[in-house]
Amino acid sequence: MTAPAIAAPAARPGLRLSPFEIFVVALVAFLLAIALFGPLVAPDSVYRSDIANSLMPPSFDHWFGTDDQGRDVFWRLIVGAQTTLLSAFLVVTLYSLIGVTIATVAAAGPRWLDETLMRITDIGLALPGMIVALGFAAAMGPSLQSAVIAMAITGWPITARMLRGIMRQTMEAQFVAGAQVLGVSKWRLMTKHVLPNSLDVLIVKWAGDVGTTVLVLASLSFIGVGAQPPSAEWGATIASARGFVSTAWWTVVAPGAAVAITSIAFGLLGDIIQVRRDPSLRGN
Amino acid sequence: MQIVHPMPAMPEPTPKYAPLVTTSGLTVDMPLGRDGNSVRIVDNIDFSIGVGERVALVGESGSGKSLTARALMRLDRLARLSGRIDFDGQDLLKLSEREMTRYRGSAIAMVFQDPMSFLDPLMTIGDQVAETLRIRGVGKAEARKRALAVLDELGVDRAAERLDAYPHEFSGGMRQRVVLAMALVGEPRLLIADEPTTALDVRVQDQVLDLLDDVSARRGLAVLFITHDLGVVAGFAERVMVMYSGRIVEDGEVEQVFAHPRHPYTRGLIKAVPRIDQDLHKLYAIPGAPPPPLARPSGCPFHPRCSESFDRCVSELPAVLNVGGERVACHLHDPLRV
Amino acid sequence: MLAFRAYSWFLVRRLGLTLLTLWGLASLVFLMVKLMPGDEAQMAAGADASAAQIEAVRERLGLDAPVILQYFGFLGRLVRGDLGTSIVTLQPVLNDLEKVLPSTLELVFFAMLINLAVAIPTGIVAANRQGGIFDTVCRVTAVMLGGMPAFWLALVLQYLLGSVWRIVPISGQSSFGMAAPTVTGATAVDAIIALNGPAFLDALHHLILPAAVLAALFATQVFRTLRASLLGVLRSDFITAIRAKGASSRRMLVRHALPNSLNPVLTLSGTQAGAMIGSAVLVETVFARQGIGAYMFNAVAQKDSFAVLGSVMFIGTVVCLVNLAVDILQLLVDPRIRAAQLGSQTQ
Repeated sequence: MTAPAIAAPAARPGLRLSPFEIFVVALVAFLLAIALFGPLVAPDSVYRSDIANSLMPPSFDHWFGTDDQGRDVFWRLIVGAQTTLLSAFLVVTLYSLIGVTIATVAAAGPRWLDETLMRITDIGLALPGMIVALGFAAAMGPSLQSAVIAMAITGWPITARMLRGIMRQTMEAQFVAGAQVLGVSKWRLMTKHVLPNSLDVLIVKWAGDVGTTVLVLASLSFIGVGAQPPSAEWGATIASARGFVSTAWWTVVAPGAAVAITSIAFGLLGDIIQVRRDPSLRGN
Repeated sequence: MQIVHPMPAMPEPTPKYAPLVTTSGLTVDMPLGRDGNSVRIVDNIDFSIGVGERVALVGESGSGKSLTARALMRLDRLARLSGRIDFDGQDLLKLSEREMTRYRGSAIAMVFQDPMSFLDPLMTIGDQVAETLRIRGVGKAEARKRALAVLDELGVDRAAERLDAYPHEFSGGMRQRVVLAMALVGEPRLLIADEPTTALDVRVQDQVLDLLDDVSARRGLAVLFITHDLGVVAGFAERVMVMYSGRIVEDGEVEQVFAHPRHPYTRGLIKAVPRIDQDLHKLYAIPGAPPPPLARPSGCPFHPRCSESFDRCVSELPAVLNVGGERVACHLHDPLRV
Repeated sequence: MLAFRAYSWFLVRRLGLTLLTLWGLASLVFLMVKLMPGDEAQMAAGADASAAQIEAVRERLGLDAPVILQYFGFLGRLVRGDLGTSIVTLQPVLNDLEKVLPSTLELVFFAMLINLAVAIPTGIVAANRQGGIFDTVCRVTAVMLGGMPAFWLALVLQYLLGSVWRIVPISGQSSFGMAAPTVTGATAVDAIIALNGPAFLDALHHLILPAAVLAALFATQVFRTLRASLLGVLRSDFITAIRAKGASSRRMLVRHALPNSLNPVLTLSGTQAGAMIGSAVLVETVFARQGIGAYMFNAVAQKDSFAVLGSVMFIGTVVCLVNLAVDILQLLVDPRIRAAQLGSQTQ
């Protein structure tokens, strides 16, 4: 799902960014800032209940209103950003590492190992990721950690397959054959040539994946196998607010919008990096 | 068959043929980027093809020969055409797109270089050949019958069985015949062949050329053959037009042009073809490279590579002159030259 | 035209892959079972089982044996259709799921319909007028929709269209008293079986929003894929040849460009069918519809571990089978795929 979504209006090559690109990068940076520093600047009241003030509509005091426990929705979102985003980063980094490792072993190793690993990857690809992750998270006892581990376990096949393809291709390229003839060891080949080549593809995928992972993580929390209330993770927030959608729509709309915006922003970031890397994809 | 009233600087039609297509000042500009700029690929050319005549259009890649051919059928939507293309009395450039589609396939037809990429992989070849007729309202059964007849004529054996086969089941030579059938079934008067033999091996090349030869003679079909292969020109065409950097630099009967090429570029081209009876140590190639359309030299576009150029060539674009039954665009042949 | 032998060889290979995948899934579920904290026998026996009953269950399930034997026992039970027993309903999980499967299939079917009915025409128009207003609006919408969590979209639309504007029912599969007698569990199908017009319409009324929400994400993918594919085909050589034959724009588009661009869309929708079944979990719960997704959700909420794991196995199997069916369907549809998979003969 990381096919480039929108062609950025004509940006000149080199370091000049188009207005659209600047906007996206700024948005992502903003989200990262919230994730890192949010909890530091949030007022203490976010963690305390204040039933008297519960389910108040958005106002000057509470920009997004309050939730069923009287907590300020806006600040809860800020605090929750850390949980959601950092968990997503963790998940994607974890399964990317797993994927890279498997891809490297498959590409560099003997044929039979490659075949076996690819069969396993195929199986992984054929299974519905979220369902399996759900199963693992439920089995390990619903919690944020379970969800993270579960998603890391189910997320690597796509990365592995993609990277192995690229690595194989690179290895079959002329210059590698030339280097081998010169006696360069396979290990050196992999680290100095094949891996760096695959790196930029990985980065593009990483950015886009963070976007989709935030979505899946929120979904798992909503179902109840991820972050548990009273965690401020966005999905968990929506789950606890679900019953109040008709009486206090802001409790549901705000965190969901946050998830959507984050997911879209990272997705676009991935697209932008991809188009800059390979301008032939522009307009697609 | 009308006789076109000759216009100044227009080619004089070869006596044996009444003119079928005549272009006058044909120019093709291709757009660049989004800001409305364009680059001139074909620069003001005039030529004429007679009924049943076989003309070859020769040039290096980038000379504009393909675009010229496609312009005759107005195939490139993005191209901006100006000038006049007179087909049997009608100026094609004045027609609406709708009216133009009626000419395509029936009056003028085209075959392309790589038959595989020009056939729809999802349609049977029978349907594809018949489609040219179906577009014109011919009934299904009748169209199929005529498609079969053409395929037969072109030497596709067991054509009746093969009508329901798909393109990928055919070999290269067979596919070229299918493409030819697609073009001929509409009984066109002009066939444009854009490098039809380039992608084929020599044996198949010969077969296709023989086929074209046969068909054109039998049907009185005029053929415009685009190629960069002089050997093919010699074997097939009656007249040859040489293009360089968007202009026609020489235009005359094949035997004459090959025996006594008048334009230095043509001379260079012919010299570059290796001959078995020559004692060569090195292959000859015209020094330098054709200029990119955005950076054409002033005056005659060939002058930087021409061994016989002089000062007028740098400043003045040579006009097309009639010299000894041929047309040449070169200052060397200007009887009034300074 | 092509040898029967080639067809059956392909089928064998494909079935083999499916079986392998199912085996992989089963192994993963076994792993999940082993990962669960607490005593497995106790959980299987129930909260208020006596010590003797727990021991009986332990023996039945062979939980004292080494893990390897347990594994084979587990696989054996799976093959026989034993997906465990729900702690809540006290019924075999498989029975519970079978009852609600048609409802999910009905939802996915309609979602797929909406998906293709919306995405394909918009994709065609967008590609045909590339860069125009329609194209840009569609692409922006696609990006927006693609980033929204399905359950959130469901909640918001449910509120807006259901509570505020009252265009569609808020939840459930049928209005009170309107439903036709349950035959399959899929309300629309049941209505057809009972030849009950109003009930059918009512069922559709209840289906439309959930199906649309489920379809949303997938429609954006189909739209993008079709548009890209069509743009590519429109640029290709044989389209030029078609124009050279004198074909009108419309003919060229419909009879040549479109059929040649549909291949990636077909592949995509095939995989989407499976993914939709997975996503049904979220949509079904928000709209309080019956289905395997809702069942799974409730199982999680009630900490019915075996039901959860049984659902995982069941849903995973359904997805695999759907993918298999799609692959076979594709084979029959595209002559090129047929050639690639089965081996072509040049004449």
